[in-house]
Amino acid sequence: MNSFFSRFFVVALAIGLIAGCGRRVADSGAGRPVVGLVVKTLNNPFFIDMERGAEEAARSRGIVLLVQAAEREVDVERQMQIAENLIQRKVSVLIIAPSGSREIVPVILKANRAGIPVIIVDTRVDAAELESAGGRIATFIGSDNYEGGRLAGQFLVERMGSRARLAVLEGIPGHETSDARLRGFREALAPYPEMMVVASQPANWERDQGYNVCQNILQAHPDVNALFAASDLMALGATEAIAAAGLTRKITVVGFDAIDEARQAVRRGAMAGTVAQNPVRMGAVGVEWATRILGGETPPPTVAVPIELVK
Amino acid sequence: MNLRRAIISYARPFGTLAVLVALGGIISVLTPYFLTVPNLLNVAQQTVINAVIAVGMTLVIISAGIDLSVGSILAFAGVVLAQALHAGWPLPLAILAGVGVGTACGLVNGLLITMGRLPPFIATLGMMSVARGAALLATGGRPVSGFGESFRWLANGRLATVPAAVVLMLLVYAAAYFVLRRTKFGRYVYAVGGNEEAALLSGVPVGICKIAIYGSCGGLAGLAAVVLTSRLNSAQPIAGLSYELDAIAAAVIGGASLMGGEGSVLGTLVGALIMGVLRNGLNLLGVSSFVQQVFIGVVIIAAVLLDMLFKQRKR
Repeated sequence: MNSFFSRFFVVALAIGLIAGCGRRVADSGAGRPVVGLVVKTLNNPFFIDMERGAEEAARSRGIVLLVQAAEREVDVERQMQIAENLIQRKVSVLIIAPSGSREIVPVILKANRAGIPVIIVDTRVDAAELESAGGRIATFIGSDNYEGGRLAGQFLVERMGSRARLAVLEGIPGHETSDARLRGFREALAPYPEMMVVASQPANWERDQGYNVCQNILQAHPDVNALFAASDLMALGATEAIAAAGLTRKITVVGFDAIDEARQAVRRGAMAGTVAQNPVRMGAVGVEWATRILGGETPPPTVAVPIELVK
Repeated sequence: MNLRRAIISYARPFGTLAVLVALGGIISVLTPYFLTVPNLLNVAQQTVINAVIAVGMTLVIISAGIDLSVGSILAFAGVVLAQALHAGWPLPLAILAGVGVGTACGLVNGLLITMGRLPPFIATLGMMSVARGAALLATGGRPVSGFGESFRWLANGRLATVPAAVVLMLLVYAAAYFVLRRTKFGRYVYAVGGNEEAALLSGVPVGICKIAIYGSCGGLAGLAAVVLTSRLNSAQPIAGLSYELDAIAAAVIGGASLMGGEGSVLGTLVGALIMGVLRNGLNLLGVSSFVQQVFIGVVIIAAVLLDMLFKQRKR
């Protein structure tokens, strides 16, 4: 009998905690439109910036914004669960940064069926897959990753005097963002046969993998003198590996995303450049279009957020 | 004395059930979106994958073992299934291939543990890496996606109003309940976990039992892969990362003891549902993702603490 009491005591405690967290949201939400933003993960500065931009825009427009994310960037199933739960929550608009370009399609269909407009940010949905499934999105808001990859490629061509031995750190294989960046990058190198890519391997967007993969590449190809990483986290991991090998500044590192730490690394000279997306702006534009859709406007199929090289 | 013990063993899932009901009650007071039929079905559907893996994990844990490889096996079985489908295999055969690969990996675990005398932790830790590597190798790291309507029905279709995947989950639990409670093998599983020496001396075929336990655990991970692949319309070689920990958590919340000899599949089902309801409720309430992780952790620790308290009292 006692155990029943202690059991309920713990449950009561848990419930008190939930109530404490829940009340704040419930009280502030009365009568105002609720927009859900599902990013890939909230332990990546890029998405924290996006959240900040979205929150500022939501505050100035009098919108309630619910921001949720999976613990791991690669956990497409968990992201799907979160989106499903927000559909059950009956949010007015759903903004998603998909963890998987194809894996997100089933959830878009569910939102379509529930009559909730879906805005995709940052990573494109696989267009063929979406069409064949009969789903639709309101708009895509993001940087032109292909163009960013080209910018990085051109920068390296200039910097290296169109002659280099390059290593490339890729994002998650099959991931649209990574593919577009690498396509643009290779496109920029194509006219220069002396720009040799000697190794190109995935480090799955993660910093520690960037470190390890770079270290392995340096073992196999000690003559590498330039490195392009499809994201700054991987680039920062790589700069650590390069520093550990005593090769800082001897290998020209270019990253992508221009997160704060990467900008500092560029100032210090550990990195040569990074392609700046504007996640704060991306989040803000997402919320802005959410309100305009609620006001009856139809967005264009793609809204481009400007991109530039920080060097 | 025996009666009392029987009451305790049957009452344990009900204690956990009380936690689930109380949790649901509170969430439904806080948000009107929780207690609706579509949302409850949604939670059930979201619980399927963890719950199916957790059945196998429960068998393993009752036998005083652990299986760290289920997440990787799920990924490997998923990509094998997906490639079989892309190669034009008939649906039942492709599903059999996925479940078969999972079972095979599990059987290897079992052999390593019995014939190789490796501790389950080590054997399955190795398999965790091997199966993950195999999944990556088989696909070149890329997801395999896009399947036919009939395959996608498995996770997204409905029988009357109940999602097909939920029906599958209930069938798996019914079967596991029957096996554990009504068959000789079921009694053996408890005997092996309760006291392996004693089980061996009293003629329980401990080795064969263990191989069968790990084989089932792998097979169930393969079955979960079928549901996951159908649900996402894609099989990812990096799927299932840390799913083994979710499955262990569900079993432990449901009253399984890592020391072996104790646990029930019904408890595990309720454990998995508690995790599902908690995540769903916190999403509906718009609670920060970081707080959610703290909560899941608190629930796991509280469940086990209570369990220990409970047992001490009984002694």
